[in-house]
Amino acid sequence: MNSPVKIWRNQQRIAGLLAREGRIVSWTIVRVPPSGFSGLAPYPVAIVELAGGKRITAQLVDWSEKDLAFGRKVKVVVRRISDPPTEGVIPYGIKAKPL
Amino acid sequence: MKIYVTGAATTKFGELWAVSPRHLAGEAVQKALADASLDKKHIQALFVGNMLSGMLGGQEHLGAFFAEELGLSAAAFKIEGACASGGLALHNAVNSVLSGQYETVVALGVEKMTDHKPEDVAVALMGAGSDEERQAGATFPGLYAILARAHMKEFGTTEEDLAAVAVKNHFHASLNPNAQFHSSITIEQVMHSSCIADPLKLLDCSPISDGAAAVIITSDKKQATRKNSVQIIASTVATDTLGLAERRSLTGLAATQTAGKKAFRITGITPADIDVAEVHDCFTIAEILAMEDLGFYKKGKAAGAIAKGETRLGTSKNLVVNPSGGLKGCGHPVGATGIKQVAEIVEQLRGRAADRQVKNANIGLTHNVGGSGATAVVHILKK
Repeated sequence: MNSPVKIWRNQQRIAGLLAREGRIVSWTIVRVPPSGFSGLAPYPVAIVELAGGKRITAQLVDWSEKDLAFGRKVKVVVRRISDPPTEGVIPYGIKAKPL
Repeated sequence: MKIYVTGAATTKFGELWAVSPRHLAGEAVQKALADASLDKKHIQALFVGNMLSGMLGGQEHLGAFFAEELGLSAAAFKIEGACASGGLALHNAVNSVLSGQYETVVALGVEKMTDHKPEDVAVALMGAGSDEERQAGATFPGLYAILARAHMKEFGTTEEDLAAVAVKNHFHASLNPNAQFHSSITIEQVMHSSCIADPLKLLDCSPISDGAAAVIITSDKKQATRKNSVQIIASTVATDTLGLAERRSLTGLAATQTAGKKAFRITGITPADIDVAEVHDCFTIAEILAMEDLGFYKKGKAAGAIAKGETRLGTSKNLVVNPSGGLKGCGHPVGATGIKQVAEIVEQLRGRAADRQVKNANIGLTHNVGGSGATAVVHILKK
């Protein structure tokens, strides 16, 4: 369950990740998505190692097949995460865009 | 103090639309009591392993819920640890007896998953992951697919190797009357099944299932004098980070390694002493990881060995893995799985597993994982 307060708190956390660059460590393509993500599927989800060593799990955006490779360089961007839940607040968060 | 399993039972696993969680739990516990020749008035505590009743069914407070249903006047608890809820329930049951507080207790695992839409079940299951993973739109097949891809890169594991795990476990399930699936499958069928999360295909994935299982444990030697009692000689738990991104390695599960090592250290036995094991094959890659992380094979060596039939009934020389059919073939009602694994090993050690009986089974192991490896539970049992 999401809430405006939770989204606000989360956005403060993700601000520190925006525009950071990293490389793909491993990935999949989700073809059977959970509720709220059906309009986006199929989409890749990757483990990305950011410069400095921190790793994050992120969905890829603006991707093509050639971007799905070990070591592919990506950049953290802000995007809409999923369909708005019943609370009506559009959830924004981070995704990773191939460079 | 010795811990004896005196009763063990599993319901049919599958898409049981006509059966309620109450009836599943009732059937499992009644059968376990009958197996132990025990009146329910002797049960002093109930440990319920369940993950999804709150998110999917809106019902919490399962200790009281099932104590009422079962007519038990006992201390009652719900234990939740995602897909390891069953194993954790038994671990807590064992500890409660070891503490001296209780003598005879029941560990029940139960899950009802097929009442709900698959995409809603996927959301509920992702409750076991991290917030970041949910935000990424990850699913559990997706998280294990990420592990599979890392393993394939490092060790050359192939998609056919993954498929061989499903083929073996479906063969075992075909011999188990309680299993969800009774059809043998081929490598080709797995390879041509629809892709769920690359490289995992539909037949690499355990199903959504309903089911329950129960075991009765006691420290009372008088109850355990029957020939068919089995001892739990190790019950260990280890914990890792909730999300995959924080792990040091993506080619093994550290929680499995830690829980396994501790169980072998406590008992003084080695992986080579294990005759039969039920390991957590929620996805085909998970059985390969488990066989390596528990020490049955060196890293990178399990996939080929499984594909050659080294852990299959009829072709194995030593160890048989997942004779019940595993999560893949027998089904995976998540909270029930950890208890079903133990019930299967108890049947094997008693020599009562009929068509799927492992010859000369004296020592058995169970391995139950929560999430993508954040929780691992290992039990070792002996005749």
